[in-house]
Amino acid sequence: MRAAGAERFAEEPRGIEESFTMAADVPFSIDASYDPVQLPAPLQPEGVMRLALDQPLEFSFEPALSTYVVRGTIPDADAPQTAMTLAATHPDIVGVYSDPVIEPTLTCGDSPPQGDADDVARLLSAPALAEAGLDGSGVRVAVVDSGINVEFLRSRGRSPTLDAAASWAPPRVPTAAGEHPVAHGSMCAFDVGIAAPNATLLDFAILAGATSIAGALSDAVAAYGRLLGLLRDEQPALPALVVTNSWGVFDPGTDFAVGSPSNYTDNPRHPFNVIVASLEAAGADILFAAGNCGVECPDGRCRFASRPITGANSHPKVLSIGGVDVAGERVGYSSQGPGRLASQKPDVCAYTHFAGSGVKPADTGTSAACPVAAGLVAAVRTKHSRQALPPQNLRSLVQRTAHDSGGVGFDFDYGWGVVDTDTLLAALP
Amino acid sequence: MLVTVELDPGEASTDAAARKLGLRHEDVDHEYGVVGIDPDAHLYAVRVTRDAADRVRPDGAEGVYSDPKIEPF
Repeated sequence: MRAAGAERFAEEPRGIEESFTMAADVPFSIDASYDPVQLPAPLQPEGVMRLALDQPLEFSFEPALSTYVVRGTIPDADAPQTAMTLAATHPDIVGVYSDPVIEPTLTCGDSPPQGDADDVARLLSAPALAEAGLDGSGVRVAVVDSGINVEFLRSRGRSPTLDAAASWAPPRVPTAAGEHPVAHGSMCAFDVGIAAPNATLLDFAILAGATSIAGALSDAVAAYGRLLGLLRDEQPALPALVVTNSWGVFDPGTDFAVGSPSNYTDNPRHPFNVIVASLEAAGADILFAAGNCGVECPDGRCRFASRPITGANSHPKVLSIGGVDVAGERVGYSSQGPGRLASQKPDVCAYTHFAGSGVKPADTGTSAACPVAAGLVAAVRTKHSRQALPPQNLRSLVQRTAHDSGGVGFDFDYGWGVVDTDTLLAALP
Repeated sequence: MLVTVELDPGEASTDAAARKLGLRHEDVDHEYGVVGIDPDAHLYAVRVTRDAADRVRPDGAEGVYSDPKIEPF
C-alpha cells in the first residue's frame, strides 16, 4: 500500500480495518493480526532507467516514500481477477501478490554436516549415561558392515576394544578383523562409541570386498549363524549382545518377486528373516537402519516404488532406525513406512548427518543413526542384562520413551519419535 | 540361492544336506557350510547354484530362497 494509507498505519497499525475500507463487492478479508510491514523505498540511481535487484541500491525509510505490506485473503475462485480488481479499485494499493507456503529445507545427502559428534553425545545425554556407569562395559556390539579399522578409531580419539576371536568375515575378505580398510564400517563403529565408548566390538565384515562395498544376503545369514552360536554356546552366557546393521536391499531386481515363495523382502520364511527371529529369541538386541529412500531426497540407488523398508529392516523383532539431524528434524532421505514385514516402521529415529568419525565429512544416512541408537542400547545393557530385561521389553521401552515428533503418536516418518535417553533411563526397571 | 533343509543336529553337514536335497556334491557350496537358522526346529541353510536350486527335491527342502545383493545405507 502507498504511504497515504501507510501514515495511518504508522500511527495506529492495529486500526487497519478502519483505515482500509474496501468496496462492498470486493471479496478481500484483511488479517488484522498481521502488523503492516514497512518496505523502504529503493532510490533509483542517477542515470539508471530501470531498477534491478542485482545492482547496488540505497533505500529510504521515509514513510511518505515507503509502501506497506498487509495480509489478507481472497477466495480461490477467480483469484487472478479479484487481485486485478483490488489493484484497480483502490488508489493506495500498489500491487497484490501471492503468499505461498514455505517449509523448512530438509537435510539431504549433499547437505553439509549439521553439528558434530559432541552435539550427538549431548543430545544422547552421554554424560548422564557415563555418570550412571552405563558406558557399554562388558557389552558386545557386533557391527555387521564393511569392517572396522581399529587404528583409525584410535586416531580419532577412541580406545576401542575388539574381540577378534569372535569376529568373522567371509573367506573372500583378505583383511583381518580390526584391520579392514577405513570405510563405512569404521564410521558405524565410531558412532556406537558415542554412547557406549567401552563396548567390546565384534567385527563382522560381510560387506568387505576387493572392488566394492557390497555383499550377498547369504553372508549375512552366515554372520548371524555365528552370532547365534555365541549366544547359545558360550559359557558363561553373554550378558548382552547388540547387533547393528546399516545395510539393506536397494534393488528388488536382485530378489524374487513379491508373492514368490523364494522372495526375501516380504517373506517372513526367508532364512535370513528366520535367523533374525532366532537370534532375537536367543537374547540379542538387533537394530537395522530404516534405509535412505525417503521420498523427499532418496539415495540414487533406491529402486523400490513404495514401502522401501523391506526384509529384516522391517522385521518385527528388530528396532528399525530412521534418521534425524541434530535439530531433531527428519532428514529427507530417511525411509518412511509402512514396513513390509511389520507395518509400524521405522520404530524410532536417532541422530545422523553430523561431523563425526571423519571417514567422510559427515556421518550420514540411517547408516549413522542406527549405530548411534545401538550405542544407546549397549549403554543401557551395561547394567540391564538380556535375562533381566528381554530384548522385546527393551524395544518397547525405547519406543514408549521416544520424544514424539511428527504427528501425535506413531507416524511413518518418525516412528514413535526420537530416542530420548533421559526418559528411557527413568523408565528402566 | 539359499535352500533351507531340516537336518539332524548331530549330522548337520553339507554332504547330508546334498543327499537330502537330491543334489550332487558339487552343487552345494561346501566352503559356505550349513548355517543353523532355527536350532529348535533343526532348520539349516545351505548355499547352492541357481541351476542346482531348480533341481532340489521338493520333499527334501523346506524352501528355496533368493540371495539378493545387499549394500550399505
